[in-house]
Amino acid sequence: MWVYLLRRLAYAVVLLLAVVSLNFLLIHISPGDPVETIAGSMGGLSEELRAQLRTQYGLDKPFLVQLGVYLVQVLHGNLGHSYYFNLPVSDLILQRVPATLLLVITSVVFAFLIGTLLGTLSARKPNGPLSQTITVIASVGYSAPVFWTGIVLIILFASILPIFPVSDMRSPGAEGWGLASILDVFNHLVLPAFTLAFVQLAQYSRLARASVMDALASDYIRTARAKGLSERRVLYKHALRNGILPVLTMLGMQFGNVLAGAILVETVFNWPGLGRLAFDSVLRRDYPTLLGILLFSSMLVIIMNQLTDLAYRLVDPRIKTS
Amino acid sequence: MRPAASTQSTPRRAPARPAGQTREALRVFLRNPAAVIGLVMLIAILAVTIFGPMVMSADPFEIAAAPMEPPGSEYALLGSDYLGRDVLTGIVYGGRATLTVGLVAAVLSVLIGVTVGALAGYYGGWVDEVLMRITEFFQVMPTLLLAMVLVTLFSPSLATISIAIGVASWTSNARLARAEFLRLRQREYVLAERVIGAGHGRIIWKVILPNAIAPLIVSATLVIGTAILFEAGLSFLGLGDPNIMSWGLIIGNNRPYILTAWWAVTLPGVAIFLTVLAVSLIGDGLNDAFNPKLRGRE
Amino acid sequence: MPGFKRVCIAALACALAAAAPAGAADAPRRGGTLVMGSTESPRHLNGAVQSGTATALPSTQLFASPLRYDADWKPHPYLAESWEMSQDGKSLTLHLRKNAVFHDGKPVTSEDVAFSIMAIKKNHPFQTMFAPVEKVETPDQYTAVIRMSHAHPAILLALSPALCPILPKHVYGDGQDLKDHPRNSRDVVGSGPFKLKSFTPGQEIVLERFDKYFIPDEPYLDRIVIKINPDATTLMLGLERGDLQLIPLISEPTLLRRAQADKNLVMTDRGYEGIGALSWLAFNTARKPFDDVRVRQAIAHAIDKNFIVKALNAGFAKPSNGPIIDSSPLATPDVKKYPLDLEKAGQLLDEAGFKKNGDGVRMKITVDYMPGSDVQGKNVAEYLRSQLKKIGIDAQGRASADFPTWAKRIASHDFDMTTDIVFNWGDPVIGVHRTYLSSNIRDIIWTNTQSYSNPKVDELLDKAAQENDPARRKALYAEFERIVTTDAPIVYLTVIPYHTLASRKVGGLPVSIWGAMSPLDTTYLK
Repeated sequence: MWVYLLRRLAYAVVLLLAVVSLNFLLIHISPGDPVETIAGSMGGLSEELRAQLRTQYGLDKPFLVQLGVYLVQVLHGNLGHSYYFNLPVSDLILQRVPATLLLVITSVVFAFLIGTLLGTLSARKPNGPLSQTITVIASVGYSAPVFWTGIVLIILFASILPIFPVSDMRSPGAEGWGLASILDVFNHLVLPAFTLAFVQLAQYSRLARASVMDALASDYIRTARAKGLSERRVLYKHALRNGILPVLTMLGMQFGNVLAGAILVETVFNWPGLGRLAFDSVLRRDYPTLLGILLFSSMLVIIMNQLTDLAYRLVDPRIKTS
Repeated sequence: MRPAASTQSTPRRAPARPAGQTREALRVFLRNPAAVIGLVMLIAILAVTIFGPMVMSADPFEIAAAPMEPPGSEYALLGSDYLGRDVLTGIVYGGRATLTVGLVAAVLSVLIGVTVGALAGYYGGWVDEVLMRITEFFQVMPTLLLAMVLVTLFSPSLATISIAIGVASWTSNARLARAEFLRLRQREYVLAERVIGAGHGRIIWKVILPNAIAPLIVSATLVIGTAILFEAGLSFLGLGDPNIMSWGLIIGNNRPYILTAWWAVTLPGVAIFLTVLAVSLIGDGLNDAFNPKLRGRE
Repeated sequence: MPGFKRVCIAALACALAAAAPAGAADAPRRGGTLVMGSTESPRHLNGAVQSGTATALPSTQLFASPLRYDADWKPHPYLAESWEMSQDGKSLTLHLRKNAVFHDGKPVTSEDVAFSIMAIKKNHPFQTMFAPVEKVETPDQYTAVIRMSHAHPAILLALSPALCPILPKHVYGDGQDLKDHPRNSRDVVGSGPFKLKSFTPGQEIVLERFDKYFIPDEPYLDRIVIKINPDATTLMLGLERGDLQLIPLISEPTLLRRAQADKNLVMTDRGYEGIGALSWLAFNTARKPFDDVRVRQAIAHAIDKNFIVKALNAGFAKPSNGPIIDSSPLATPDVKKYPLDLEKAGQLLDEAGFKKNGDGVRMKITVDYMPGSDVQGKNVAEYLRSQLKKIGIDAQGRASADFPTWAKRIASHDFDMTTDIVFNWGDPVIGVHRTYLSSNIRDIIWTNTQSYSNPKVDELLDKAAQENDPARRKALYAEFERIVTTDAPIVYLTVIPYHTLASRKVGGLPVSIWGAMSPLDTTYLK
């Protein structure tokens, strides 16, 4: 058991380093470099300054040396300093992680619960009117581009019905985590979280529906019915438990997509999260920050995968992971 | 019997010839109102996008009216954007680019995904290990970020965007294909083929794939939708191809003006939404059509 | 007797208001939080080592400078109570006030001024600001003498709040490289009207009133919050809803129109004469066919500036005709102009040897544009596409995915024509010379990437940089403007219509030549 876990851990580390290296390569061959960004932010740059910056950021060294230096640094737990802000990358990430996690987790939980419920309901009578309606509603959420949904919500709540704030996580100048501040944050969270959840609703609903239908058709369900168990017990206890497996897989797999959606939602609502920082860092060629975020989110996805695998084995011990 | 690891079940007897199965599935599909609606919508959209430009023969980049006219004005039926370009013309012409990107990206994604997944599921062993590690490697990277970096790297153009989306999104197809192949390779009819000495190629192509095709087709339709949304997202962020009119481009261009010219952002968004909806309704319909067992239970 | 007290305070306030340079007519009220919106995210808060409007906004609240300016380009006392320029123009003596202290309580002395000026000279990207400064002498605690190698009239404008923040030597003089100094973003200490409460990079900056500010009873505001949001539309929404009260540097025509129509908002275009933001079209004169002046002039004649002003800028921008912004005292209106004349354009191109071929096309070129500024960049490029077609030029826009991509292309001189936005920054020595000096042809952006070289221009600019007599200086620059507009390495389009939007609740709006990039010590909430 321990050997297994250690092996998985070692493998995960290697995977992470491989991901980081690829992205290091990609970003470094992009046209323009951070010095151009800094020149842009300053309205110009002198020759001497430019040379200084290039040396300081190691941009004049051969690529493999730069990569090597960076990897060693990362292995020591040091993510470096942002080229743009001159602040430690880990600080910048830690500052923004809570916001993104709050947004993503809220939206996933919401989408998962409601979606699974809707999907299960519609699995009982797969071609009935309720099922059709649920399918269409869920499809609406999935088909609309997430940023478009966000923009429509902003137009609605900015001009027509100004109940919710349409940007940022807090009111300007607010700080701390007292009760009033928490309420303020949740007030700002409503629209972005709903936007992000709306997109995922369909996936969970459709998946739950299909798996539950699948499970309902199989032998052990017939056995349960033959044993005289009530329809409801059959549905929720047996079918759902096995139907949930692919949904769990989906949760893990979709995490990456949810992060992508988070970038768009954070942009539309100016939510101060990692997604927005990552996007800005690409545009600024702020390599250390971007790589730090990639590292972090890859780590999250790997953890999610492992958790999903674990949950899979727990729910059905007959399944063997390869 | 083990519950299926995939989301659809297949008949447990030896498979009927695919043609018979298809005819049956088609009948089911056409009796599903949502699926038919989706099909009709898609046909309508395709008609407009393919034949519309021939009928209109205008330049979507040309300044046709005064800037920011609301819908219903004289020269601009659906309104004009911030420069005075007609939104209707933009939508009619833009469909081509958006759909092309969607299709090409989806094809790429499915090709890569199915190849990787099929090989991994069929051969198992170390082939599976290696391919799955590669899949996980791509899956772990945030797709939009990867696509953004690729587009920034190679300059935004329709080709780059299609390839970037395809490369960033093939992993789910791979997993699906792998699961299907894993499941099906133990079937009696496959083992029968092995016994009579059929080669691996024949088995993969002619025996397993036709039976695995159902969920893969469903997945492919979903990927088309995802790819279209992806293109819209990239254009919205400002990373689209600015020389070719696409729905995402109209939205991205007009984003600073949503408060005053909301139609320039909302209407192309409606076009995207209807297209992706049509595609996903069809996908759902196909999904149900290929699962005869479940239809029986009312 | 509250009534009597109120009268006294009002009288005092009136007296103070009269003394303050950017005077408000009614009695300023104390207190309140001003929330200011900004679309730019500063790297850090120290304007001594970083130029640009993003840093200047917070930096001018945190740090004071020797001089400050009014709306008529006249310098006023700030940290320096008085000053004298020597006869030969090579020494400027500053007499500092005696009551100025830093946010940590230590006094502001000439040592700090000397340290700061030399630090700016060493680290600031605008090298020409203090280049002739050889040393700054400090004969006593409150006197600083700036010694220059030649007369340098630009020195007065270089001592503005946005360009010369006075840093505390006891904080920044610890030997660390100033560009990366940790105190640029944390525990920032200056002597300006506001001190730093918190800086969340990319999100917001919170500033608090400094009680020991050297101008008594000021600032009026308790707090300033600078809210960063790259989307100007959302900031505008915030202004309309009352979440924000002030947004400087807005040039988006749709937002300006909307603000104009809103009775609850105040809109002013004053305050931007100092930065002198010009939008133009630059040619790469090292590349054919742009090495031929007739080609450049032809293209200039083909552009209808009226359209750009009215259609692309909704009438809010003013056309620009020369390298120096016309609100500057050194500008001249007597330059070579290029009215719309398609026929003449065609003639010039014919003369230059570019006849129309079978399809009516004379040449194919690409137009680059800076990403992120649609109104001044992409829209102009798209306008050019359809307009230049009329004189037989096939102009394709070439998009760059993001700023560094575009900057790289222009810096490495890999372009035909490009739109660009360049600021004057007060004195022409600071922001204008860099575009036209042949010694500044480099591979960095916002230098002479046009490869323009005219020895007469070099000579005029060098002379003007050292000419102390304002009338003679103006004449030199007038000649410079005439030559440059005739040579046309650049087609001037418009002055970028920056406006400050504010709610009616804001009094004492910053309208000096530097606008919001100056201390908001006289701003208040009604």
